[in-house]
Amino acid sequence: MDLDPAVQTFAAESRELLGNMEEALLRLEADSGEKDDINAVFRAAHTIKGSAGLFGFDGIVSFTHKVEHLLDRLRDGAMGLDADCVALLLACCDHIGALIEDAVSGRPLSAELAATWRVLHEKLEGYLGPSAKPQPQAGASEAAPLPAGQPQEPNSAAADWHISLRFGREVLRNGMDPLAFLRYLATVGDIVHLTTITDALPHAEEMDPEACYLGFEISLKSQADKAAIESVFEFVREDCAIRILPPRSKLSEYIALIEELPENTMRLGDILVKSGALTQAELDRSLRQQTAEAAQAPASVADGAPPRPLGEILVQEGRVAQSVVHAALDKQQQVREHKAQENRFIRVEADKLDQLINLVGELVIAGAGTHLLAQRAGLGDVLESASTLSRLLEEVRNNALGLRMVQIGATFQKFQRVVRDVSRDLGKDIELVITGGDTELDKSVVEQIGDPLMHLVRNAMDHGIEPHDVRLAAGKPARARLMLHAYHDSGSIVIEVSDDGGGLKRDKILKKARERGLVGEGQSLTDAEVHRLIFEPGFSTADQVSNLSGRGVGMDVVKRNIEALRGTVELTSRESVGTTVRIRLPLTLAIIDGFLVGVGPARYVIPLEMVLECVELSPAERQACMGEGYVNLRGQVLPYLRVRALFDLQGQAGSRESIVVVQYGGRKIGLVVDTLHGEFQTVIKPLGPLFRRLRGFSGFTILGTGEVALILDVPGLIQTVATKDAHGGSSAAHAVAASAGVGSDAA
Amino acid sequence: MGKTVLIVDDSASLRQVVSIALKGAGYDVLEGCDGKDALTKLEGQKVHLIISDVNMPNMDGISFVKEVKKLPNYKFTPIIMLTTESQEAKKQEGQAAGAKAWVVKPFKPEQMLTAVSKLILP
Amino acid sequence: MQIDVQTVGAAGRVRIAGEMTIYSASDLKPKLLGALADCRELEISAAEVTEMDTAGVQLLLLAKQEAARAGKTLRLAAPSPAVQDVLACYRLAADLDSPRTGRAEPASEPITTRPGA
Repeated sequence: MDLDPAVQTFAAESRELLGNMEEALLRLEADSGEKDDINAVFRAAHTIKGSAGLFGFDGIVSFTHKVEHLLDRLRDGAMGLDADCVALLLACCDHIGALIEDAVSGRPLSAELAATWRVLHEKLEGYLGPSAKPQPQAGASEAAPLPAGQPQEPNSAAADWHISLRFGREVLRNGMDPLAFLRYLATVGDIVHLTTITDALPHAEEMDPEACYLGFEISLKSQADKAAIESVFEFVREDCAIRILPPRSKLSEYIALIEELPENTMRLGDILVKSGALTQAELDRSLRQQTAEAAQAPASVADGAPPRPLGEILVQEGRVAQSVVHAALDKQQQVREHKAQENRFIRVEADKLDQLINLVGELVIAGAGTHLLAQRAGLGDVLESASTLSRLLEEVRNNALGLRMVQIGATFQKFQRVVRDVSRDLGKDIELVITGGDTELDKSVVEQIGDPLMHLVRNAMDHGIEPHDVRLAAGKPARARLMLHAYHDSGSIVIEVSDDGGGLKRDKILKKARERGLVGEGQSLTDAEVHRLIFEPGFSTADQVSNLSGRGVGMDVVKRNIEALRGTVELTSRESVGTTVRIRLPLTLAIIDGFLVGVGPARYVIPLEMVLECVELSPAERQACMGEGYVNLRGQVLPYLRVRALFDLQGQAGSRESIVVVQYGGRKIGLVVDTLHGEFQTVIKPLGPLFRRLRGFSGFTILGTGEVALILDVPGLIQTVATKDAHGGSSAAHAVAASAGVGSDAA
Repeated sequence: MGKTVLIVDDSASLRQVVSIALKGAGYDVLEGCDGKDALTKLEGQKVHLIISDVNMPNMDGISFVKEVKKLPNYKFTPIIMLTTESQEAKKQEGQAAGAKAWVVKPFKPEQMLTAVSKLILP
Repeated sequence: MQIDVQTVGAAGRVRIAGEMTIYSASDLKPKLLGALADCRELEISAAEVTEMDTAGVQLLLLAKQEAARAGKTLRLAAPSPAVQDVLACYRLAADLDSPRTGRAEPASEPITTRPGA
């Protein structure tokens, strides 16, 4: 049985369940939890246990079983929930997650996990106490209720069993057809002899066509043991009189059987003789011996259910106390309400979605091609239909991309736990405030933003937020605030991690930078430049490396990760007031609205969301701003780049040039190009590894004509201009903001 | 003629495993993620056996069984309840509602196959 | 389930098509017994029975029992594979295929027996 695809489903499902479990536990800890939350935790553990068992992950089953047992106690109110208990459950939650990852990847249990296991197990035992002992160690013993049909303890040889069955009236209505059990019995052994007993069938008018009136005397040649044979009739145990005589039973036992059965003694005797269980001589002798008793045997119980052993009835009734049923009903109700909303979603494999988006991307390109051809051929009606097509394609594209959009809230929520754990470890009182959790962004971006965010959050708690006494001394509230905020801004999503801690210490950073030789003595830097220093590789101002954020990953790695997502990161900080790290990311990685420009024969795409305006350069202006520098744009200084010069293109500019004003992260520059071709939908294709080191491009795309156009990396280009200015000893951003005269600062 | 089994559980991985196990043995399998969903799956179909979890959102197993027992085309269809050793009360309740067979969670795929084949052959 | 009853003089013929299961049993019982009441000998043609369960078999057994009680003849003709399968499992093929009344059958009436598989 190949369960591989299901294992993946299990992994994904469990991750989600553990996430729910954690959230519910945190709510419980914060005292805002309700009874629903403990139920949610219980159900998550329960589902994981059930599924893990299917895959034979017995370790997970047995551990989760212990946890479930504790949860059951909590749920019943037999135990109160305190902070230590929540901490233990959270640790268990993590442990289950680790066990699942191990099991799914097929690794054997690591020594580390085994150690955690022992510790947690001991703690759980501590809570559960000795009364938990009778609980089965799941896995092994739970396989018992349903033994497989195959013989488990083969006898030396197949031998004849005698089975006597009298089915109850209700079995058919309950969907239990004797036929099915007999057919299944035939897989356990060889049915040597079978007699259908129809004596209980009443007269026509009394006969209920949906009731069962049949009985069977069976001799079965089988190597199976008694439990295996009994288990065949497990589901009708309470609705069927079952008597099983092992091979070579004593004669008296057969006789007792005959006496117990409602039918005519002689006929049953005949059946037994026929089936080879008894010889005629044995039967005759025995019957003669016990004539007296035989006379008292139950005469006839043709109607009414067959007699049931009293013990069975007692056990059955003893097991169901009425109050238990009511309690269970109440729980059921709560569970139902809580889960009602979870079913509005369907789970789709991410690959399928990627494939769809890829196809839509190709479709968009093909659509643009058609539009272009129609335009060139000057076919009015074709052009019109191509336009309709384009409009629809755009909608399909937006919808398809929308499918990938997920709210960032879930990612933010994960930090509740981190903040709780870390603040506890640090002995700081930190509150996490989340806003803008419903801001949507591409799933692939969400997946990759987790690590950088984690680092920033840990950093803020570890280095940003001051110790308790320092805060009080500074007149700040003892409880520190850490804020995660997300919002949309001109085609990007902005994520802010801010704290109300001590802020960056300018002097300390400068000192360190000078020690490292990053900044020359006597060189003066603006605050922004100083702040940017902490993104330099290996830069850390922490007095001591803690095991929290000092994991060998610095802010430079955060920056690199974010840049890999075509994003940027910047930091603003005020000493003793706090620090904000602002991450700006594109909404999606797959398709952009582009603005197509030309320089000579080459075509370039500029992401449309970054284009502010296009201005034609008059010959006079061209004259005025030869070389790289600045242009006066309605009285403002605009630094610009000449694309022709930047990429070292052959040929001369035509008689007319245009300047495309682009903006990113609050900075504007101009790009000088030959021609403007207008808006254009573009599927971003990544550049091959050969071109990865090229600066200035973020990818390429294929035009409707089949030509290749490179996509300009606007943030990168803006960075180039900024760096150039910084080297010149002044910040371009400041120069622009100061509205200085044209070219006054030109290098 | 293949016999059709409907598996109703809110765990997708559980449904998937049961489905793989039963299909391997020659059964046709339909899936439902809760009682309500399962009722729609029964419409216009011929299902020979139903496997249902007890705890499910929207419509739990017990209510589902009660609904099935009201359907003219399904009132006599065998139902296997998925219970746990701690849910003896639920099991009794399920049996009272008409689900006379049960499998205890956690179970192995082979155990499910065994239980199903006691009630119907593929 | 579909049932057609034809009666020619004392001989009746019942043709059952489709399911002979618990779902159709309540419907089938009065029709089958009605057909038996209207004739002296009845042939049940089960060639078109697609599915049979214990409730279906019980109706055949009931009809057989009633026929015996009234001294009538009942025959099961041409059982379909689905029917043969059930009869084989219950080892009832012989009981239902051949008349088993207490009286001697007229010699002129050949008994058509179709042993189950």
